[in-house]
Amino acid sequence: MTSSPGTSTSTSTSTSTSTSTSTSTSTSTSTSTSTSTSTSTSTSTSTNTSAAPATDVPLVFDRVSHWYGDVVAVNDISCTVTAGITGLLGPNGAGKSTLLQLAAGVLSPSNGAVRVFGESPVDRPDVYRQVALVPEREALPGMMKARAFVAARAELLGVRNASEAVTRALTIVEMDTVADRRIDTFSKGMKQRVKLAAALVHDPSLVLLDEPFNGLDPRQRLHMMRLLEERVAEGTAVLLSSHILEEIANVASNILVVLAGRLAATGDYRTLRRLMTDRPHTVRLRSSADRLLAAALMQESSVLGVEVDNSGVIVRATDYSALSLAIAPVAQRIGCTLYEVQVTDESLEHVFAYLVAR
Amino acid sequence: MSNVAGVAPPRAARAVLGRPSWFRSARAIVHLSIVRTLTPVLLLTMVGLVILPMLFALVFASRGYLSGDPVPFLVERYDQLVAAFATPVIALLLSTSAFSAESDDGTLLYLVTTTTPRWWIVFVRVVFAMVGTAAASAVAVFGTGLIATGLHDPEHITRAFGIASAFGGAAYASLFTLLALLTRRALVSGLLYVVFWEGVLSSTFPALHYVSVRQWMLAVANALTDATDTRLADGPSLTVSLVGAGLIAVLAVVAGARQLSEPRMSRIGT
Repeated sequence: MTSSPGTSTSTSTSTSTSTSTSTSTSTSTSTSTSTSTSTSTSTSTSTNTSAAPATDVPLVFDRVSHWYGDVVAVNDISCTVTAGITGLLGPNGAGKSTLLQLAAGVLSPSNGAVRVFGESPVDRPDVYRQVALVPEREALPGMMKARAFVAARAELLGVRNASEAVTRALTIVEMDTVADRRIDTFSKGMKQRVKLAAALVHDPSLVLLDEPFNGLDPRQRLHMMRLLEERVAEGTAVLLSSHILEEIANVASNILVVLAGRLAATGDYRTLRRLMTDRPHTVRLRSSADRLLAAALMQESSVLGVEVDNSGVIVRATDYSALSLAIAPVAQRIGCTLYEVQVTDESLEHVFAYLVAR
Repeated sequence: MSNVAGVAPPRAARAVLGRPSWFRSARAIVHLSIVRTLTPVLLLTMVGLVILPMLFALVFASRGYLSGDPVPFLVERYDQLVAAFATPVIALLLSTSAFSAESDDGTLLYLVTTTTPRWWIVFVRVVFAMVGTAAASAVAVFGTGLIATGLHDPEHITRAFGIASAFGGAAYASLFTLLALLTRRALVSGLLYVVFWEGVLSSTFPALHYVSVRQWMLAVANALTDATDTRLADGPSLTVSLVGAGLIAVLAVVAGARQLSEPRMSRIGT
């Protein structure tokens, strides 16, 4: 598996380790594509999987595996989580929660090493000065009041100005006005926010969130996204697993895609999409002469097919770069006016669906 | 409050971190223990266990069976109903409820992902269960003694069992706290232990007296009373009892802390 904080996709089970951005597939065409793309993407993402632990890197997975009995939950994953929001994607049972628990030191890896700010989080309570994990399950001690629960966390974390920190944490999740109510009277979304307040009460530098948007209404989701972005602006690293791809796409600067315990891809999802050379890119065009434009584009070597319907021309191409460079000259040559050029399958949802379908 | 354009909002104050205070962290752990433990069902069960020996004493006293020497009656009830039943079951309930519930619903995570040392978490939980067990057992012992003998305490038997039940509560609390951290079915395992090991085997086979908390309690009571009773005299020595209980307490805290470093929890995510 490629060790890669940078952008990469991997469909092989190679055991080689590389720190460069790459696409590993079996065909020579895709290999050459990956090589050219890696140059352009490696500058925008950090790369750090060297053996020497870097104390300023929030989280490093170094060839980490974890199994429960005979079941392999996480298989040889190497990647780095840096400051910013990193989205952790994968279908149910892919190993996302296990990965988050490994990062939090609640589980120890069966193989490999996890390093949080340069050190193993396992059996090191001091690591929780800098790390917080918000689990997916909404269970909380229902008989407690929200303020008392967050205060208990603050005391157990050694927060000196506990009262002030508790009020601040409850305020930023907008629970300060109901904080003196018992938790079992709260809705799912309110419990989610109490969990977040309990995690943020000591201002951790690495926040691990497992499905934090569950149970939140759209306004609360927006609020939480804004809140996470504010934390990131202060230098916090956030690793966030979610099924809600739209939210991930909105907030995450980087994504990790986990499939069946393996790291299938990592990097910016738009770049990942372009690396998927085995999937034609789909672009929708609207112009003053759709049929003429469709016929002219068919002459281009990168175009696999075109389709004309009421919404315009749908173009499928193997090479995104070649197509994007060809559209304007072709339109100019045939004398039609372009009204709209839209890539229709570059959303995170498409990228995720393509990766899962492999 | 809106910000003036061009002026950066004031940076929010940050949490100031230090080492968790022993007292404050203990208070937080006890608070979490109380809310997870003292449910109405558990409280009713504890009340039932506490009043059981008192009911026996009331029935016997009302029929005039205690008009002679009450010491044999008290020793038998204290042994069978307190040392072998009420104290271990109360300790079991108080020791396992919090950790078991937290392991089952995943909220143990909020306790272990803190900077508080794990051994301190286990120690405080043991002390919480021990104090609760000792208090409830003391009510059972002194209530029964009061009904059987009034304020008179012949041969200091009630006082001796009051102290012995506190001692036994500590041993049982340590044992069951560890059980709660090690097994998924702590309550069932603990009940089987109480019924078969302490209830049947330890009183049937003399060789097992050395590894029975019930027999250790009798040894402590024997050392503190002037009464001579074969039940008390058959137990192990006081030294064996004290060392045994001490070892269990240390084992519970050390092994429990190790267990908390990678806690057994039901799935906390998908």
